[in-house]
Amino acid sequence: MRGIARGRGLGATAVKAIAFGIGLITFVISLGLYTEFNADLATFQLGGTPIEWIPGGVSYHIGVDGISLWLVLLTTFLTSVCILAAWNSVEKGLSGFMMSLLALETGMLGVFCSLDLFLFFVFWESMLIPMYFLIGVWGGERRIYATVKFVLYTMAGSALMLVGILALYFQNGNSFDLTTLSGPFEHSDLLFLAFFIAFAIKVPLFPFHTWLPDAHVEAPTVGSVILAGVLLKMGTYGIIRFCLPLFPDAAEKFTPLIVTLAVIGIIYGALVAMVQPDLKKLVAYSSVSHLGFVVLGLFSKNPVGIQGSMLQMINHGLSTGALFLLVGMIYERRHSRMIVDFGGLSKRMPIFATIFMIVTLSSIGLPGLNGFVGEYMILAGSFVGQAFSKVYVVFATAGVILAAIYMLWMFQRVMFGTLDKTNENLPDLNAREIVVLLPILLFIVWIGVYPKPFLSKMEKSVAVVVTKVQTAPAMGQLEKQKLRDPKLALQGTLRTQHEKREKEAKQ
Amino acid sequence: MPIEINWQLLMPELVIALTLIIVLVFDLFDAISKTVLGWMTIVGAGIALWVSIQMHQAGTVGIQFNEMFKVDSFSLFFNIIFLVSTILVVLISMSYLDRGDRKQGPYYLLILLATLGMMLMAAGNELIVVFLGLELMSLSLYVLAGYFRESPASSEAGMKYLLLGAFASAFFLYGIALIYGGAGTTSIPAIAEAITAENKSPLLLAGMFLLVVGFGFKVAIVPFHQWAPDVYEGAPTTIAAFISAGPKAAGFAAFLRIFMEALPSLQVEWSGVLILLAMLTMTVGNVIAIAQTNIKRMLAYSSIAHAGYVLIGLAAANDDGISSAMLYLLIYCVMNIGAFGAVILAKTADGESLMISDYAGLGTRKPLLAIFMSVMLLSLAGFPPTAGFVGKFYIFKAAVGAGHIWLVIIGAINTAISAFYYLRVVVTMYMREPEEELEFSPYASTLVIGLILAVVGVLLIGILPSLMLTPAQNSVF
Repeated sequence: MRGIARGRGLGATAVKAIAFGIGLITFVISLGLYTEFNADLATFQLGGTPIEWIPGGVSYHIGVDGISLWLVLLTTFLTSVCILAAWNSVEKGLSGFMMSLLALETGMLGVFCSLDLFLFFVFWESMLIPMYFLIGVWGGERRIYATVKFVLYTMAGSALMLVGILALYFQNGNSFDLTTLSGPFEHSDLLFLAFFIAFAIKVPLFPFHTWLPDAHVEAPTVGSVILAGVLLKMGTYGIIRFCLPLFPDAAEKFTPLIVTLAVIGIIYGALVAMVQPDLKKLVAYSSVSHLGFVVLGLFSKNPVGIQGSMLQMINHGLSTGALFLLVGMIYERRHSRMIVDFGGLSKRMPIFATIFMIVTLSSIGLPGLNGFVGEYMILAGSFVGQAFSKVYVVFATAGVILAAIYMLWMFQRVMFGTLDKTNENLPDLNAREIVVLLPILLFIVWIGVYPKPFLSKMEKSVAVVVTKVQTAPAMGQLEKQKLRDPKLALQGTLRTQHEKREKEAKQ
Repeated sequence: MPIEINWQLLMPELVIALTLIIVLVFDLFDAISKTVLGWMTIVGAGIALWVSIQMHQAGTVGIQFNEMFKVDSFSLFFNIIFLVSTILVVLISMSYLDRGDRKQGPYYLLILLATLGMMLMAAGNELIVVFLGLELMSLSLYVLAGYFRESPASSEAGMKYLLLGAFASAFFLYGIALIYGGAGTTSIPAIAEAITAENKSPLLLAGMFLLVVGFGFKVAIVPFHQWAPDVYEGAPTTIAAFISAGPKAAGFAAFLRIFMEALPSLQVEWSGVLILLAMLTMTVGNVIAIAQTNIKRMLAYSSIAHAGYVLIGLAAANDDGISSAMLYLLIYCVMNIGAFGAVILAKTADGESLMISDYAGLGTRKPLLAIFMSVMLLSLAGFPPTAGFVGKFYIFKAAVGAGHIWLVIIGAINTAISAFYYLRVVVTMYMREPEEELEFSPYASTLVIGLILAVVGVLLIGILPSLMLTPAQNSVF
């Protein structure tokens, strides 16, 4: 699972080959996780027995469930793609670049697999350093500002999370083991916030998003892909793994606030993306908007909504990753990312234009492609879930329309119209670039047409989260509200039905 | 009353004293290369370290000299900290001193004397013995800070340190006197017995606060920290490394011993003060460090901030707090000496390059140096998987366990603040192009050995914390 390449003193090609080999091997091993994973069980699997690391409650305890499985696969997949994509674009310090990339992969996989809070935090923090170097050394002009901002934002958040983890440790019988953690906890509101703010910064949820456009614009292409594709998911993963199941009361309490922020993020991100003159910044702001959807779905606390969010996390990793790759490819040719510098590219670069079109449509949620399934499930789940007012869903749906506007408008300005003279000699994609993009396209279509293999693996694990998050308020507040609100009563029965089904499944 | 001396208990101290004499004698012969003296110091300190480790593992406990001198796991653990610091400092000193016709003998002699003083402080079971150790250590350090006589900055540093240090000693002594007035004894266990709930005389409280002031000066706690940046900047860099490491640990050793063992019944009074001082020290140290352009001054403020983290452990005042403070001091000594060592390694033809901006482009031009420096700075900033993270983690854990959530939140926020200025150096090394090409001197082998030891130590404790955590937990008195 963990590969750290050291390629000093070797030729450039050897370094790239070793890095790609390690990335690919990791991906193949992680595919084994998919086949070995038993989707009928909601437990953590395939982690082996925990090994005691530090006496006093810290162990090397790893494992995956239906939620982390997908993020692990996404990580290994995108890392391999990224190594291939960065083949010719790194001019200095190639071995350092590849080392950072693989160290980053180690950190990200660690975050998704850790079942020990200490271990989780160690990986969470250690992944900062390689990303810091990726942006800071190989980034654009304002890279230093961007990278320092990125690290400081994350560290500020994780400082609070560390306090939260320590407080949980003492309430968990002096153990950091995640699987033995069960509420209710004292000061759960504060603990929830301690975790949530760390994750919200990472997601990034409005108003913590300001580091994201800077980091994206300055990062090298591959850095942006990893950042958008996987790093942001660490935030949403944290929410679904810690915030929702551990502190259901607090999650219930803060739902209106968080959902408001998510919807603001959806619309704000879309509006800001619309006016961006820079392609990369446009994609960056579209991330803010898309991740708003994911958070919305998570807090719907409804199986459909959360599964939609999970799927949308993968979708966003694929679509936005592909968009960043495409922007990077055009930047390598033209050394500009300004929309005004382009126009009529479809005549010169038909393959590029076609792929760009598919990815754009996937990003705006065209039926038949992956984005649609995720967004539809999120919106449907939020609508029937009753966790928050339907008004939020209405506004969020407006975000879908806005996404179509800014993406298609961008596409039109870049691809159609008159071809500028300076762009007349731009070569179309070469074989390597097509190889980089094709697997992503494959998944984009696959998830869009037949998402069942993806959903079926996560169903049980999501159901566990849903049960946990619905139990606490159902016991307290919901009972009282039922008398007044017939719809809530209905939801209660839905839940009992769901539990019944689960029991049957177990038998 | 005849005093029976158990020589075995005194082995580490005796080895150091013996080395001291050998160095003193061999310094008389001009024919002997002066680096040999450095190696003698290292061997002596190494033997003492080995003996201390053996005694620590065997769980040796004993009281000597009319109950004035107490050897236990606590003092032995601190011996390990002091001796590790001394060895590292001597390793980074050898090439640093080796220029011109500078006399080297007294330098090693004074370092050994200071080490002996520290060991006395950690083992003192009697306020007067602690004071003796403190003075032995401080007087040696005053001379060392002004060791480069030809440099006005060094002389100024020595003078400043002497004056402020003398003040601090006076406060400390006055505190002892008042405690003697209140408790009728200066023996640490006897003081604990003499103080009861109903017998909390104002004399005792005044004495206790004077002790806090005295220690505050010695370990550079805000608001008693003003001397530190000036002294660190002016003193020879190796001595700045030394002052920031061992003596600070020694100060905390005596601090722990006196407050936890002699004054536990006054905990209500002192814990609030310590919490306040910890918050102030961390915040002021870190915030001012951001503004520094000279790396030695930056490290000076950073070392002030680190004293604040240790204070969190003291404020927690439980077994976890004590052991985590001890672990932190050990880790801090290694990484701080390592950071100063990296500064020495960045030597140019016309002296040291101390401005942070001089480090631009080191990442590609001097990769080894840049890696050393980065590991040390990342550890100081508390990133996993370095020892600095483990140290902070256990300090915070102890404080959360003691219920000081707010203190931990402030500490955690400070960690984020500190990342800013530590990372700025890393940024300069790897991400900025140099404005002028500085000619860096070739590496000295002893210095590189010292740095490799520090890097290995920092990473080893970072990955396998139980190596040092368990001994620290077993060393709580």
